[in-house]
Amino acid sequence: MICAGIDAGSRAIKIVLMDTDSRQVIAKGLIDQGVEQDKLASELFEALLKHSDINKKDVAKIVATGYGRNAVSIADTTITEITCQAVGVRQLVPKAMTVIDIGGQDSKLVQLDRTGKVRDFAMNDRCAAGTGRFLEVVAERLGIKLESLGDIAAKSKRPAVISSMCVVFAETEIIGLLTSGTPREDIIAGVQAAIAERVVTMAGRNLELPIIFTGGVAMISGMDLALKCALQKSVTVSPAPQMTGALGAAILASSQLNRRRP
Amino acid sequence: MSNTPKQITLQEWDQRYEQLQRAGMHQPDYGGPLGRHVEDGDYRLLKLRYDNSAAALRLWNFLLTEEQRLYQARTRGKKIVGTMKDLGTVPVMAYSLDNLVAFYPDGAWWIPCVMELSAGLLSIADSLGIDESFCPVRAMLGAFVTGAHFPIPDLLTCSVGATCDDFSAIAQRLNSLGYPILWWEIPHRRSPEHNEPAVKLPGGFSAPKCQVEFVKSQLELVKTALEELAGESLDEKKLSAGIQKANQVRAYLAELRQLAFTAKVCPLPALEMLVAEMLAIHFCSDRDETVIVLKELVGEVRSRVKAGKGVLAADAARIFWVNPVADLQVMNLLEDCGGRICGTEYLFSHALDTIPEDLPPTEALARIALADPMVGSSVDRAERICTDIRRFGSEAVLLSRIPGASHCALEGEVITEVVQANVDIPVLEIEVPPVTDSIRPTLRTRLEALVETVIERRKR
Repeated sequence: MICAGIDAGSRAIKIVLMDTDSRQVIAKGLIDQGVEQDKLASELFEALLKHSDINKKDVAKIVATGYGRNAVSIADTTITEITCQAVGVRQLVPKAMTVIDIGGQDSKLVQLDRTGKVRDFAMNDRCAAGTGRFLEVVAERLGIKLESLGDIAAKSKRPAVISSMCVVFAETEIIGLLTSGTPREDIIAGVQAAIAERVVTMAGRNLELPIIFTGGVAMISGMDLALKCALQKSVTVSPAPQMTGALGAAILASSQLNRRRP
Repeated sequence: MSNTPKQITLQEWDQRYEQLQRAGMHQPDYGGPLGRHVEDGDYRLLKLRYDNSAAALRLWNFLLTEEQRLYQARTRGKKIVGTMKDLGTVPVMAYSLDNLVAFYPDGAWWIPCVMELSAGLLSIADSLGIDESFCPVRAMLGAFVTGAHFPIPDLLTCSVGATCDDFSAIAQRLNSLGYPILWWEIPHRRSPEHNEPAVKLPGGFSAPKCQVEFVKSQLELVKTALEELAGESLDEKKLSAGIQKANQVRAYLAELRQLAFTAKVCPLPALEMLVAEMLAIHFCSDRDETVIVLKELVGEVRSRVKAGKGVLAADAARIFWVNPVADLQVMNLLEDCGGRICGTEYLFSHALDTIPEDLPPTEALARIALADPMVGSSVDRAERICTDIRRFGSEAVLLSRIPGASHCALEGEVITEVVQANVDIPVLEIEVPPVTDSIRPTLRTRLEALVETVIERRKR
């Protein structure tokens, strides 16, 4: 039997197909998010099935997660990204005790107990300053690609201080910094530090190790260092950080099907 | 006609109303189909889900006809007292006099929600310099300016001091618009110092005797003003009788809370519980009718509990809710997400406590006023929450912040810390503006995640 996890995030839709018995990932895929997210999710799902030579009838259960989870009509059920990220990360990093997930439009902190279950969580979805959206704004403003931000920031010798806690005002600050000749690497490093500080404000500093960093923003180099600096604790980027939510959803789908715990 | 307890929409209520009518339902003079209230502009009602009992219908009709009741009281020659920022003390005094009716103008904070911002009250407050950095109770200013939501009271009282800074500013702005206010001061409740005479307060708190004496002196001022307005003296006998009546309301609410929060299957939805609890503040402008409404509701809940029937799944996550929500629909949302209310602290838990009847009445009221969760520290409040969590078996705490409200900027952090240290259950903080439509998906995610966390913790 095969199960699927679909993570309909704000920036991308991610799907993992999993063999229910072996818990092996059979296929995974990703597509940019769009207005017709249900259609996009279905198309990606069909494409993965075709690529893996799997018949749709063999997919026994589909769990959707992510902010767009309720729009995914092919899903049998939905589970929040808090639970799915916890399960996905714990699968890849079995000793994880804290998960920091920074996505395109929100950030989350999930604290786990020894068995890997969610003990508590916090979520910021009201302020873009602690999310990937802040990096998108700076990338647009500086005219560079999102994926290049980390490499450029690595050259910074003195990160700029971004004092505004609001992205709209911070953008004005960035313009001011550019006008005053601040190198762009310092601006990007400053923005990364500001995001990390925002996450720390939500999370507090008493986090249990190991802290695993996941979500799309974890793929931007330098962000883990910014978090490490702000938390003053070791932070490890999860393997496949963009896929952990979908992976967790697939595992939970398997568990529901097998009526066994993940 | 099925009488199985369930939640129904407004449209479904109108059909059920017809059925209940045909079955001979007795209705008070303010009764009628719920749908008629939408004609007054209460559009939010169309989006809520309600309990389907006749007792719940009476509760809603009682709540939604308060404005008419106040106007009728004035027509009958009664004087109207607006008791601002006072959650359950001055109304007890006012209703001890036959010629007075008290209400809670601050209750206008729900108008932007119920009328989905169509009344423009917040815009009026904006224009008066009280913008969105203040608590939504600023809607009250707009209600005074338009005069469209309640009659202008003959007397306005307002407690100040250790109450909310936002409200004090809003009331001062109201004062500057030409509405005279009788201010009475409530000090920040502190613990008695060593060797300082102490007094036990309801709710398990204590305070120095001098603080109780001070509040008594303030209530004496209020008493004098009420007597002048009513043209009648408020002697100890009348006040004691008023306290007994208030305690009757509180006793029904205590039973309702105990039944609803501890029942295996949730017997009454969160929204109806909220409305019922709010009756403790000022009796929805009719103390005697409040007793009847609550008696009926408690009767319904008793029979449901006895029959093991309820409105939600038996495995619903047991959530303790802190602070009232600006958008009533969020109470429904928690239930949609698999939660139920098992414990509440809506900032007026003192108004649910029994007023001591073995003390001189003004002393008893002073003690109850000082037990207000808002006039003590957030730690005190959090400890009381922990006591109730143990009592009701709550599995998580939902702290709903009120945008702009300033009774304690760090309240959420303090309550979270104390709850986690004392009872070790998850605490989720959310912010609820008057209309949550645009943030519903993100609110839903948080609430669903909280429920999932609770369900997973049960497997430990």
